[in-house]
Amino acid sequence: MSISMALFSPPTHPPSLSPSISPKTHLTVKPHLSLRPPKTPFFLLSTTRSSADNGAGTSASAATALEPEAGQKVAEPPQPVVEKDASSAGANGSAGAAEAVEVKVVSKFEDPRWVEGTWDLKQFEKDGKPDWDAVIDAEAKRRKWLEGKPESSSNDDPIVFDTSIIPWWAWTKRFHLPEAELLNGRAAMIGFFMAYLVDSLTGVGLVDQMGNFFCKTLLFVAVVGVLVIRKNEDIENLKKLLEETTFYDKQWQATWQDETPGGSKNQ
Amino acid sequence: MASLTHPFHTSTTFNLPLRTKTRTHSRFLIAIKASKSTNPPLPGRKLRAAVIGGGPAGSSAAEALAAGGVETFLFERSPPSTAKPCGGAIPLCMLSEFDIPSPLIDRHVTRMRIFSPSNLCVDFGKTLRPDEFIAMLRREVLDSFLRSRAESRGANLVSALVTDLEVPTTPAAPYVVHYTANNSRRSLAVDVVIGADGANSRVAKSIHAGSYSCAIAFQERIKLPDEKMEYYENLAEMYVGSDVSPDFYAWVFPKCDHVAVGTGTVCAKQDIKLFQRAIRERVKPKINGGKVIKVEAHPIPEHPRPIRVRGRVALVGDAAGYVTKCAGEGIYFAAKSGRMCGEAIVNASEGGERMINEGDLKREYLRVWDAKYISTFRFMDLLQRVFYGSNASREALVELCGDEYVQRMTFESYLYKRLADGDRWQDAKMVWNTVGSLMRCNIIGR
Repeated sequence: MSISMALFSPPTHPPSLSPSISPKTHLTVKPHLSLRPPKTPFFLLSTTRSSADNGAGTSASAATALEPEAGQKVAEPPQPVVEKDASSAGANGSAGAAEAVEVKVVSKFEDPRWVEGTWDLKQFEKDGKPDWDAVIDAEAKRRKWLEGKPESSSNDDPIVFDTSIIPWWAWTKRFHLPEAELLNGRAAMIGFFMAYLVDSLTGVGLVDQMGNFFCKTLLFVAVVGVLVIRKNEDIENLKKLLEETTFYDKQWQATWQDETPGGSKNQ
Repeated sequence: MASLTHPFHTSTTFNLPLRTKTRTHSRFLIAIKASKSTNPPLPGRKLRAAVIGGGPAGSSAAEALAAGGVETFLFERSPPSTAKPCGGAIPLCMLSEFDIPSPLIDRHVTRMRIFSPSNLCVDFGKTLRPDEFIAMLRREVLDSFLRSRAESRGANLVSALVTDLEVPTTPAAPYVVHYTANNSRRSLAVDVVIGADGANSRVAKSIHAGSYSCAIAFQERIKLPDEKMEYYENLAEMYVGSDVSPDFYAWVFPKCDHVAVGTGTVCAKQDIKLFQRAIRERVKPKINGGKVIKVEAHPIPEHPRPIRVRGRVALVGDAAGYVTKCAGEGIYFAAKSGRMCGEAIVNASEGGERMINEGDLKREYLRVWDAKYISTFRFMDLLQRVFYGSNASREALVELCGDEYVQRMTFESYLYKRLADGDRWQDAKMVWNTVGSLMRCNIIGR
């Protein structure tokens, strides 16, 4: 337990992660963000916690095991998140001071076109009309940025951008049409080749093929296949999807699987 | 005389020597049941039942059993297990079905906000009527109320830690519950056992019910300064994003005089502290200056156990795994399953007069429960798979939640646990919008 405490203390010494146990009552301001402190301290903490859990299955021990750790947690400020200081009253005073001095280390998403929580469409205009492609690109970039650097939500600064203001034809032109071209091309090639093959094998011409039920089924299968299987991975994905869809149901039905009535009571 | 087997009707037992087979047609689809019970009547005593675990599930089961005439023993640790760090939100139907008195409710939440990964925020709750709300309670208050009510209905409350459940080797022998009370080891022989002892159920282990995957819910209780607490007066918040949870959501729920900030995950349990820090970051301006007063964690089952009834042992509540996906709601289902199981035993044993067997439990409890709720659980599983997979789908979820029809349907099904009467046209529009949102957000997210 004490070892995990030692290792759990914060890596606020930038050069090395030497463990130190002294509770830090004032927080050093870190100029750069470290979103991923080393995982080992957490791993150790979780193993000690889980071993407590495996004891007589009591959550009481788990909760109490966490309480002393919460006290120690105060000492760990990987980011200057001030409100963590709980137990030490003295910390609150200095924490308050530290907060006032705190430099905004979380870099917010900034863009001249991003105004008050939404994209200012006037800045996207090209030939007098908004350039929807640019809006889509800008929003994609913003979301990608946020994925790496999540921001705090704030009531003064709400996000109100709604993707549905982008008209449907902008989406279609940009994303649907190129892929549609690809798929249609594939379907056409497969169709031509299969029609030729069937004709050479059976002598039935194209028009007569369309009248035949079996050929119509083949055509349907070919179209569905082209639509659904677009990349090599799709076959695996579809199989996994099918399995996933029924997995939860299987878990529910598990209790109804027949067991031998004699053996069940004697286990 | 027919003994109605529908769980909502209390069973009427008439001690007539002749029992005839009758068919009942009524508004509810009742199965044709031969009322001639083949179970042997108990010699001069009532059926003995042990309910292990005194949370909502156990207390409801004990109440139903005791009210039905079965000799019931409700086992709960002493002191009672630490309050489960759960959201503490219960739907309206639970208040009415279980007669929860209003003084127990800490807060009436009438507004909910959902935040997407890009902090797009949607206000849920525009469609709530003035008398509709989500009740927030402290688990310790609710649990002790339900327990004492079970006791007043006739259940024998045993403050003890159950250490083992001995499964009998012959069909007629009783189950023996070994427990520790006042530092002495004791044992009690019973005929039926209901396991309501939560995610780490000992009863489930004793009957080899199999295990299930669990999510871990981690929560910090934070006392906020008054002006910040005002913001959360009747508002709960939900945050989705891969920074706060890869497969669940993070929350800020108001409690009596503090807020609970927490998150959960199934697949990345070792990173739970990272996720907790991330949610603190996301909420930072609103909880600045708050003090952490408690830190707690608990496993939440993700799906039902492989075996929920074996022999004359039935599992209910968390022990059985009755927690919905997507929302992680479990209190109502725990209490309801406890009550249904208790009523099933009372029905099958005809008021505690007859012995019961595994078939009775499966037919009266499991089958009825599955028939009633499996579609709810399946739907929540579908929602989780569709919307919690990636940041793009989470954005789509939040976008969709802005729609009033979606909000109304969601609250109807949550508050009253019934499939709301939807308008077909609106349903179609909702599906269309879902597909559209998902496609748009996936495109942007690429």
